[in-house]
Amino acid sequence: MDHTSNLERIIRGGLIALVLIFFLFPIFWIVLMSFQTNETILRIPPSIFFEPTLSNYSALITGKLKTTAGNLDLAFMKNLWNSVLLSTLSVALSLILGVPAAYAFARFRFRLGEDIAFTLLSFRFAPPLLVLLPLSLYFKQLGLTNTYIGLIWVYQLICLPLILWIVRGYFEDISPDIEHAYRIAGNSWWQTFRKIAVPLAMPGIAAAGLLAFIFAWNNFVFALILASADKQPVTVGALAFVTASGIQYGQIAAAIVLSIAPTLALALYAQRYLVEGLSLGAVKG
Amino acid sequence: MTAAAEHMPRPKTSSRFLRRSLPYLLSLPALIVCIGILIPFFTAVYYSLLRFRLNLPALKGFIWFDNYLNFLTDAAFWNTVKISLVYAGLTVGVELLLGLGIALLLQKPTRFNNLASILLLLPLMTAPALAALMWKLMTNPNFGILSYLVSLLGFTNFKWASDPSTALLTVTLVDVWVYTPFIMILLLAGLRSLPKAPFEAAALDGVPRSFVFFRITLPMLLPYIITASLFRLLDSIQQFDIVYSMTQGGPGDTLMVFQVQSYLEFFQYTNVGRSAALLIVLWAITYFLSNIFIKQWLKLRERAHGVA
Amino acid sequence: MPHLELASISKAFKTNKVLADISLTADAGEIVVIFGPSGTGKTVLLRLIAGVEEPTSGTISIDSQDMADVAPEHRDVGMAFQNFALFPHLNAFENIASPLRARSQSDAQVKSGVGRVAKLLKIDHVLGHAPRQLSNGQKQRTALARALASSPKLLLLDDPLRNVDAKLRFEMRLELPRLLRQAKSTVLYVTQDYKEAMALADRIAVLAEGRFIQIATPADIYRNPATVGVARLFGDPTINLAETTIGADGSIELAGEKVAIDKSYGIFAGKNVSFGVRPEAVEVMNGRGAGLKAQVMAVTPLNERTVLLLQTKAGAELLASLPSSSASIPKAENEVTIAFNPAGTHLFDRETGAALARGRA
Repeated sequence: MDHTSNLERIIRGGLIALVLIFFLFPIFWIVLMSFQTNETILRIPPSIFFEPTLSNYSALITGKLKTTAGNLDLAFMKNLWNSVLLSTLSVALSLILGVPAAYAFARFRFRLGEDIAFTLLSFRFAPPLLVLLPLSLYFKQLGLTNTYIGLIWVYQLICLPLILWIVRGYFEDISPDIEHAYRIAGNSWWQTFRKIAVPLAMPGIAAAGLLAFIFAWNNFVFALILASADKQPVTVGALAFVTASGIQYGQIAAAIVLSIAPTLALALYAQRYLVEGLSLGAVKG
Repeated sequence: MTAAAEHMPRPKTSSRFLRRSLPYLLSLPALIVCIGILIPFFTAVYYSLLRFRLNLPALKGFIWFDNYLNFLTDAAFWNTVKISLVYAGLTVGVELLLGLGIALLLQKPTRFNNLASILLLLPLMTAPALAALMWKLMTNPNFGILSYLVSLLGFTNFKWASDPSTALLTVTLVDVWVYTPFIMILLLAGLRSLPKAPFEAAALDGVPRSFVFFRITLPMLLPYIITASLFRLLDSIQQFDIVYSMTQGGPGDTLMVFQVQSYLEFFQYTNVGRSAALLIVLWAITYFLSNIFIKQWLKLRERAHGVA
Repeated sequence: MPHLELASISKAFKTNKVLADISLTADAGEIVVIFGPSGTGKTVLLRLIAGVEEPTSGTISIDSQDMADVAPEHRDVGMAFQNFALFPHLNAFENIASPLRARSQSDAQVKSGVGRVAKLLKIDHVLGHAPRQLSNGQKQRTALARALASSPKLLLLDDPLRNVDAKLRFEMRLELPRLLRQAKSTVLYVTQDYKEAMALADRIAVLAEGRFIQIATPADIYRNPATVGVARLFGDPTINLAETTIGADGSIELAGEKVAIDKSYGIFAGKNVSFGVRPEAVEVMNGRGAGLKAQVMAVTPLNERTVLLLQTKAGAELLASLPSSSASIPKAENEVTIAFNPAGTHLFDRETGAALARGRA
């Protein structure tokens, strides 16, 4: 492979450039749009040269949209806040529930253990609507429709399997002797879990938490079915926003940029762990 | 140590019962939370055996498998099956070829290649529903950059997702944009974990590269390819976000994949029984696929842990 | 009252029986070495005593108290692991301090406690290092220091010298007896190195295939091995063994030649035995005296002793070990006459491998 000819290098480089353009151009273009007025957006032919404006962002942030037909209130910041709240709290709950369970699956060979683990894993693969549609009827009876608590509960379907399976692998990698040594030194099971197992599995817990956050943030269908406007996250909110704001393309683009920026930033930050997380540990990154 | 400490009786704090039940105590909370979500699953099975319309509660009644039997002669159902399978096959097929190609391009772990593979993660981390909106903006007939580009190629009236003949192509494009990186990243990890010896031996013997690729690389990569494809297939046959955000299953019934169809059945036509039956059929398909997948995945997982 | 008492301990993982009917007592302050080849369940036994595994059957008592319901943290045990098992996220100081902190000692107490053992083990200069920054020898000393730090009444040392280099092992073998005496703890020490066992033990418990086959003082084990297996494990060079049948006069046949050993062997006349003789018990004489003739095939000086490889006329090979200071060390190719010191000879039942009593003290 070291005898790659110049021609081959050029072809490879060209192909990689094409690939990068295809996958990055949409993000680039939407970011450009978000800094344009409708006027420059609608220009034909389109151009990457324009006078950038922050008016789209300021409209979103202040929640006031000035249109020719008058002023319009925008709930987008509320959607953004909902996304932050739902994703953060869901991941927090998932970690509280999932880390001890992952530890149990990793450390103890107990009856039912594998069964439970697989039941939880199988949630990852069932059609979400199968659960969501009946659940929407139950939620109405229970008064959980359009509540944060109800949504956070359902979001466990996304976060728990992820955390369980990634963190389990990290716990399995810790030598049991290290934990034994700490117990023999005179510490209870709980102290050992807190002071040895959790700190040593921390990279995995952090990675699983970040990934779970990204997946919770990106989820669409759960909130579409179980939440109304005031509790909706950005994924659902943006769709409603498109309908509401009609032809305010610059603002739509700005809303999309604000909605995808957090997950993209996290992804770049945690990219080391993504491979392992995405494949639930089937491939070590 | 003091004399007093020496004669201190050892406290009896860990009863055998507590020790034995610890694993259950640890995993129980997670399980309870999930069981709450499991109940609706059985409800769905039950609903699928009912005549159950939200707007006509009086008609509610147990009808055994009529909902399923009706599917046999229902053109809309077969359309859904067909569209879902075509969608899944098309997207996964394209993503696999593209993903494999890109993984091969980026195989050498140079700094540039690593940077490129990280950047390629970005579409995957974009919410599919939002990705659909991005592409909707880019294919807008008035100002969309893609509409403009194809018009330069002579397709002046290319309507993308709004035209039944190109709608499937358009959503496939979005799906490919979002999910190809997933396959790419898995296969790249696979490629880089392959043992070096067979390739070095082949290079020394002057074996042609096409032979190396088809007889060494591909067979060794196969477990990764199967895992990645099954994983994607499971997701793709259930695709909802992209199709719903882009076209809500339209135009007409062009893109009525399983979950979109059952969503509309439920909320638009309030036909709970039929909606549930549709989802059970989908669940049966995914259950079949996921069983194969989990077996494959466990094999790979063992291997990954063995190597690490 | 013994400090530690194991009563018919068995341990099985699923269907795999690791330990069977293990019984042992150790007095306070005694050093008992559990000796045996790898894979015989030595580590499992220590884990059972420490409480991180449960025995399938049998009882473990410390100070006459049944340990079945006592958690590891309440057993007042110190343990050093073969793979060190240092806490990778804590520095050496905190590793050693962990048993002291668990006993909620004050910072000053912890500091002086860690300082004491660190000085004893000569690692006071690396206390600030993380485990991955320590050399193997320092890791091993840190692990030992951690086990010793709280002056536990029972110390479990799982082959602590296994993973260190030869030089350090040699040094530690000299140092450890003093350290362990100072600790005043009861010690169970696991090893598969017979020299380590001989150097350290008050008593040695020989473990093979999950059972104790002999528990005795080092001298006793060497002089009166209970089985041919034990005889083979203790001694360097290893014991010479030959399969033979005892004659009516108590003589044996060695590759066709009759050799008289000890008249008392006569009681086993006609029995199929393994005859063993320690290389030290092989007396080598120059000249042409009567007795078994052999040729010197090779001479290997090993410090204070010299090992000869001998071959009898009939072709039987055996090793002899002589003091290097001896004036009568033959050269290779020399013809010698050999005799066996009866005190260094052993008979073992060929079927069971058990030693046959010789009817004398």
